[in-house]
Amino acid sequence: MNQHMNEPTAIFRALADPTRRAIFERLTRDELSVKQIADAMPISQPAVSQHLNVLSEAQLVSGRRQGRQTFYSAVPHGLQPLIDWMEPYRAFWTERVEALNDLLDQMEEEEP
Amino acid sequence: MSETQTLSLEFELKHSPQKVWRAITERELLSQWLLPVLEGYRLERDAPFTLKTEPVQGWDGEVSCRFLEIAPMRELRFAWEVPGISTTVTLTLTPTSYGTRLDVTQSGFAPTQKREFGGARYGWNMMSERLQALLDTLDEGGAP
Repeated sequence: MNQHMNEPTAIFRALADPTRRAIFERLTRDELSVKQIADAMPISQPAVSQHLNVLSEAQLVSGRRQGRQTFYSAVPHGLQPLIDWMEPYRAFWTERVEALNDLLDQMEEEEP
Repeated sequence: MSETQTLSLEFELKHSPQKVWRAITERELLSQWLLPVLEGYRLERDAPFTLKTEPVQGWDGEVSCRFLEIAPMRELRFAWEVPGISTTVTLTLTPTSYGTRLDVTQSGFAPTQKREFGGARYGWNMMSERLQALLDTLDEGGAP
């Protein structure tokens, strides 16, 4: 199934992972490099980088180059789309149509 | 007058419109992908039906619906009401080379404070537990 991903859905998916959520919360308080994040948590630097990629794509964090290092921080108002009160319905329908698609896969083909 | 807002989503389904139509109109199938459909369901214009989700404080979890438009294989429109929200849901099927394009729109959201409290809260309730837990955590963390 293909769905045109919208920003708030990307945010939900990005923050559904507890480790990613923890990284994000850290970055709301401090500007940190990949190494600094990895040192503070029980995960590897490559894993941190991967999580930061997902968070960046959801426009929740951004990086600032300084010399050879990049420092990440949370984007101000990055969660704003979630405060839109239609948002739960957007997530609801997205989830429900995924379930619809699963059901359709299981159903027999219709007679033309 | 407060403005109303419309939610619009678009999906590509690799299944025929005939099959999709069955899945969105038959009670047993609806109950599997959307929400449990209570007894008394009739696919008929103006016929009311009720969907059931988890109750929360102050709400029994029942979504009051009523068919507004039924165009077989093309469009299904129904009213969707919970306390604080009165909306119209439209499911539109368009045949494509890969199967069916499904457009889901929900209109009638109005950004008044009263509706925001009731409707949004119950809206959260219809999402999966996983996403709800996430949002509870974000709330406590006081994220920006």
